[in-house]
Amino acid sequence: MDIKDFIAPFAVWKRAFEKPFTVKKPIDDRPGAPRYRGFHINDADKCVGCGTCEAICMNKAIDMVPAPGHDAGPGDSGLRPRIDYGRCCWCALCVDICPSGSLGMSNEYVWIDSDPEVFRYTPGVEPKPWDGAELGYRRAEGYRLLDEHRVDMPELHHAEAVKSFLELVRGYSRQQAEKEADRCVSCGVCIASCPAHMDIPGYIKAVRDGELDTGLRLLYETNPFPEACGRICTHLCEEACSIGTGGDPVAIRWLKRYIADQVELSDYAKALPRAEAPTGRKVAVVGAGPGGLSAAYYLTLLGYKVTVFEKDGEAGGMLRYGIPEYRLPYPALDKDIGYIESLGVGIKRGVSIGKEITLAKLRADYDAVYLSTGLPTAYGLEVPGDKHPRVLDGVAVLAAATRGEELRLGERVAVIGGGNVAMDAARTALRHGAKVDILYRRREQDMPADAEEISEAKAEGARLVEKAIPLEVKDAAGAYAGKSAIFVWNDAVMVQKEPGKRPVPEPIPGAVREERYDSIIAAIGQGPDLSFVAESDGVPMKRFKPIVDADGKASTGTVAGAPVFAGGDLVNDRKDAISAIADGHRAAVGIDRLLGGKGA
Amino acid sequence: MDAHGFDEALDFAISMERAAVAFYAQLSAMASFAAQKSVLAEFLAMEEGHVTMLTGMKTRGAVKLSPKAAVDLGLARRLAAEEKPTAGMNFQDILSTAIKKEERSGSLYVDMAAASADTEARSIFERLAAEETRHKRYFEELYETEISRDN
Ligand SMILES: Cc1cc2nc3c(=O)[nH]c(=O)nc-3n(C[C@H](O)[C@H](O)[C@H](O)COP(=O)(O)OP(=O)(O)OC[C@H]3O[C@@H](n4cnc5c(N)ncnc54)[C@H](O)[C@@H]3O)c2cc1C
Ligand code: SF4
Repeated sequence: MDIKDFIAPFAVWKRAFEKPFTVKKPIDDRPGAPRYRGFHINDADKCVGCGTCEAICMNKAIDMVPAPGHDAGPGDSGLRPRIDYGRCCWCALCVDICPSGSLGMSNEYVWIDSDPEVFRYTPGVEPKPWDGAELGYRRAEGYRLLDEHRVDMPELHHAEAVKSFLELVRGYSRQQAEKEADRCVSCGVCIASCPAHMDIPGYIKAVRDGELDTGLRLLYETNPFPEACGRICTHLCEEACSIGTGGDPVAIRWLKRYIADQVELSDYAKALPRAEAPTGRKVAVVGAGPGGLSAAYYLTLLGYKVTVFEKDGEAGGMLRYGIPEYRLPYPALDKDIGYIESLGVGIKRGVSIGKEITLAKLRADYDAVYLSTGLPTAYGLEVPGDKHPRVLDGVAVLAAATRGEELRLGERVAVIGGGNVAMDAARTALRHGAKVDILYRRREQDMPADAEEISEAKAEGARLVEKAIPLEVKDAAGAYAGKSAIFVWNDAVMVQKEPGKRPVPEPIPGAVREERYDSIIAAIGQGPDLSFVAESDGVPMKRFKPIVDADGKASTGTVAGAPVFAGGDLVNDRKDAISAIADGHRAAVGIDRLLGGKGA
Repeated sequence: MDAHGFDEALDFAISMERAAVAFYAQLSAMASFAAQKSVLAEFLAMEEGHVTMLTGMKTRGAVKLSPKAAVDLGLARRLAAEEKPTAGMNFQDILSTAIKKEERSGSLYVDMAAASADTEARSIFERLAAEETRHKRYFEELYETEISRDN
């Protein structure tokens, strides 16, 4: 043993009187640098709970947790990131990637506590002294780890488009689709906003991985109309997309279309599930629109023998007889319907329930009946003179165009209304060479049509006359009598008559205008034709809608016969294809459960 | 028609509401399918409710109705004048008929108020006219949300 070993303990004593290296307050209160990466801050109202921060964190320092005051809903998972500082390495990748830009870091780095368990919190939800800190790390302006621009979709130019009924949107190439799919962060906040709850991140990943059969299988799990929906879906998912909070939302709809376009119909069977063993039971579906055919598809998979009764000559409902082919070409729709029919679904075309067969008969002959008859009745203008022969109904004009009939709209056409029917009727008239005015009672921003549809109608040459209250239709004079009509309207101002309610168009006294048109197409709204449901059928109704439960089942009380389910435009408030498809799926599951299956 | 005093004014109003009940019953008899019947039954029940309300007021001897007219959405003035309900009537036909009917009742009460020398009767008719604007407003709103959704 060395002599030093004896002396050392005594030598240390002298240190006892020196200034210690540790102090009561272990760190001097030195502020962090202005862009120091300190404790996280999060604008919890801006955050959409996408979990991209959680996904990118290599240390697994972030967990998405429920946050009081932030409920799950369209475009928000209701979760918020909780950071564990035992794991965080302060790299700030989470801040750089955050699509909403809500996440940042303060320049605070001092947090003292004797309990090691506490160094974990949900910024923006659990209050901390550094909340609202101005300094600290933020994603620099213009710097994005994610690509905020979607891959441009090749489209026909408007001047070109209006000359024919060719499809406007050309579709992505493989390279374009994969690049666009790469923008998705797989957060899944879009799923809840889709009425059919499609596995959107799943099928986008399939595009990215080039596994289109998997993609198709995922599409068909909840939607047997991918060709149609890949073109005309109202794409609520894109409104919810977390990438859209700081850039263009991912082109989810076009990616769906890409999958369906790429797989040949002859290869569908290989990718998609087979029907279960026959149950021996039969279901009748009334209406071969997307809702009825969706029910038919899922019931067939569950082993039911399904017969669809369709009053028109072709299946597809409003997807065929409403939406024009420049938005949804018939071969694409035929592909969706063709696959459903290939599974053995029988579609009896040209058979109208209520005329050829009664509902009571269907209820006697089948084990269940699903009604998806949509909204075929066009409501009239209801102004004096609206029975003039040049006043046409929008749905009928579009149906005639589908049938290839001569429309004879003339040179000057007025379309009254601001919904999708109005836009499609206007754009159809433009393609027939007419000069088109769209007259709407409120303002452009109040129009129920998709914003895209409105801007395309305008770009193709339609003139929009806002705040035009229809007053009257008169016969044209002189040489035009009987051949043209005068549309009379009153210019209006929007008046907020009651707080909290939407403004009302109020006629401006004396501001009455009129124009002569060769055709006046009314597109103010549509309703159901429920004349085939007699009171004796026992299906309860409220305001021209069957009353149904959460499965879509109507209570038929004591009236004998098979159970009746209903859905689609006839019942739901959204009145779009994907909601009808979701209703059809839900009813199929409900029917199966009622008839003793497992209902999935 | 001129009415004097409380009882006479209310009797007149009750008879108007009874006529409305009969009107919907008549339409219902004409109706050919379930959806029409259910809407007409709903509207008929509303009119029956008005009969009960007015009868109650007559018994209690006081008219508890706000004199404030509802916001006019202006539909009644524009809807085509002739309503000819048929067996095939749709929701639009039924609603426009209802709106027109309320409009007519409202104007009748306005006229009655103007023609009444009796102050009490005048005030009652004014309140009844205001009540009719609320009924009309109810149907106009339904028309806006259910029928002219796209305009
Ligand atoms: C012009 C227009 C444009 C549209 N654009 C879009 C869009 O861009 N995106 C979108 O998502 N949605 C759009 N929609 C709405 C969409 O088409 C509907 O939401 C969807 O078709 C509803 O499906 P459904 O099955 O409920 O009814 P429908 O598609 O209306 O099908 C009902 C079927 O039932 C049949 N039928 C009715 N009565 C009987 C009977 N008594 N016996 C036998 N058969 C009967 C009809 O002939 C029809 O084929 C549009 C609609 C129109 C009219
Ligand atoms: S990445 Fe941003 S928006 Fe998404 S959960 Fe994290 S903080 Fe919220």
